Amino acid sequence: MIVCPNCKHENLDGSVFCLNCGSQLVGSDSLVTQNIDTDQAKQTQPIEGKYAPPSYSFETWASLHLLDSGQILPLSDRSEFTLGRVSEAQPIMPDIDLTPYQAYSCGVSRLHAALKREGKRVFIMDLGSSNGTFLNGKRLQPHVEYLLNHSDIFSLGKLKIQILIKK
Amino acid sequence: MMAKEQSYYAILGVSRNATQEEIKRAYLEAAQRFHPDKNKFAGETEIFLEVQRAYETLSNPSRRAQYDALLPPEEKQQLPVEWEVHYSRPNLVRLNEPQMVYILLEIFPSKQSGEIPIPPLNVCLALDCSTSMAGDKMDMLKAAAINVLHDLRPQDVFSVVSFSDRAQVIIPASYRPEKHRLESQIRMLQPRGATEIFQGLEASFREVRSSADGTRINHIILITDGHTYGDESACLELAEEAAQKGIGISAMGIGKEWNDVFLDTLCSRTGGSSKYIAKPEDIRAFLLNEFETLSRVIASDVVLEFSGTPGAEMAFAFRTQPEAGPLPTESPLHLGAVLQDMPLNVLFEYRIEPSLTNQDAVTLLQGSMKPVIAGLRTPIPPIRLEFSRPVSAQAGTEPPHPAIIHSLGRLTLYRIQDKARVELNAGQYELAAQHLKQLATNLLAQGERGLARTALIEAENILQMGGLSEEGSKAIKYGTRSLLMK
Repeated sequence: MIVCPNCKHENLDGSVFCLNCGSQLVGSDSLVTQNIDTDQAKQTQPIEGKYAPPSYSFETWASLHLLDSGQILPLSDRSEFTLGRVSEAQPIMPDIDLTPYQAYSCGVSRLHAALKREGKRVFIMDLGSSNGTFLNGKRLQPHVEYLLNHSDIFSLGKLKIQILIKK
Repeated sequence: MMAKEQSYYAILGVSRNATQEEIKRAYLEAAQRFHPDKNKFAGETEIFLEVQRAYETLSNPSRRAQYDALLPPEEKQQLPVEWEVHYSRPNLVRLNEPQMVYILLEIFPSKQSGEIPIPPLNVCLALDCSTSMAGDKMDMLKAAAINVLHDLRPQDVFSVVSFSDRAQVIIPASYRPEKHRLESQIRMLQPRGATEIFQGLEASFREVRSSADGTRINHIILITDGHTYGDESACLELAEEAAQKGIGISAMGIGKEWNDVFLDTLCSRTGGSSKYIAKPEDIRAFLLNEFETLSRVIASDVVLEFSGTPGAEMAFAFRTQPEAGPLPTESPLHLGAVLQDMPLNVLFEYRIEPSLTNQDAVTLLQGSMKPVIAGLRTPIPPIRLEFSRPVSAQAGTEPPHPAIIHSLGRLTLYRIQDKARVELNAGQYELAAQHLKQLATNLLAQGERGLARTALIEAENILQMGGLSEEGSKAIKYGTRSLLMK
């Protein structure tokens, strides 16, 4: 048996791709999403008001504030973004690559979550990630959209991000 | 014509170590193809006489031995196609549980193929003209058929059949048709009656067969928008017969109300495939593309006859290009066409039971491939093919061939949606919806936003209504299939 590192599905020996979730099982030199202790991830404390709000450009509807590095990533043009980590051997291309922000050691999946705008409202959806997406400390159900409020903090695995929504 | 004198073996298209049985079969096939009663082209009677002479010698063991003694040593035969076999793993492992191995068979044109003339076509359009086609679909279909008619090359044979609950030959198989008169006949088509695919298929088969010979690409293109009732098994039998006579069938389904599973099964019996046309305005592009593909064919089909080993089951076979589609898993397999500029790739999945791993090696498949090459006057000998893997105690570390990873990665998405369908039919709604969501995640990862959205909507449909919408179902199936060809 080969247990899929992504979804834990048991595939027969000799399988190349997981028949349950489509993850590549062998022959890839790329990093597999690290499993982290979920108890730690749950201890996320909201951090508020510590940083000055960023200035928005005209099209920007929200920004991602990476709490560990202080980096701000503006979201503009499109109304939907996927968040994850680029991995060389696979054709997976998240819209926002979090590799530069310690995504691997924080347990971010290659395709972890999606952000979406509908009118003035912003939603987050976990895409079946290994280590889960947490919103204000609570783990989100995969493939379900959750409403985000301005300055909410969510974490992808252990990577904490604050959402700043333009009013 | 052939530059040097051919051996009797080459004339019959058998290898030098062919059995009497193989020689007899090759003779019967060649005799059918070149019999003087059927001759249409100059020089075929001569070929037939050569075939006769070759058979008279080779079928008699003592005369064959005499002939063999005088035969110059065999030159390495130059085939118009070459092939390669890639395995997903270097060896099987001794295990107490079943295991898998994937095999990619690639058949591609060789350098020699450039010398083969491009074969002329012998194509019949079988047009569904039932009442449901009325309106845009009918108008677009007529325009597309007329377009094809004007694009024909002088050497092509063309016919058109319209069908509903009965069939009518609109244009009998003709060589250099009078285009303007025929155009007005297509324009006069009126929708009426119900869809009975067998009616259309049978009439088209007769038309194509009347001009079918080994020097043309013989093909039926079925275009329909509806389900057929009660005549499915008759259609499948006819497809088997067509395949034996070297006639391919491909199908196009317009809109949502047609039976994709049935048309896939029908076409795959002949090496063809089915396509989904979501909107009537796309009919023209699909039809022109089909003709364009047929005119790039080197081998119109590759027939694989094989036997396996009990306990090493061919669990799945799928053609990933030139036209993606599932294949049956029983011999003989019609693998499909090889194009001038695109190889034929087929992926096989084998499931091996633990009892077989006591041996040193496992033979998965033993058989012969026969490329059907219309541009050649004499057939080429069947190519022997074997899939086998050694067995060791340890798993090999060599990674799968990149071509396998590439095709299998894309095929996995198609299979996840297939799995969701199976689960849905078994009433496992939660699982089916979950798999469609997994599919959506993978599609998003590849930048296929539209298709990902459709998958999520259909996952909701399963949870709320216990089923897929017809449009969504077809969009997901044919959408994930077309990813294979990117």
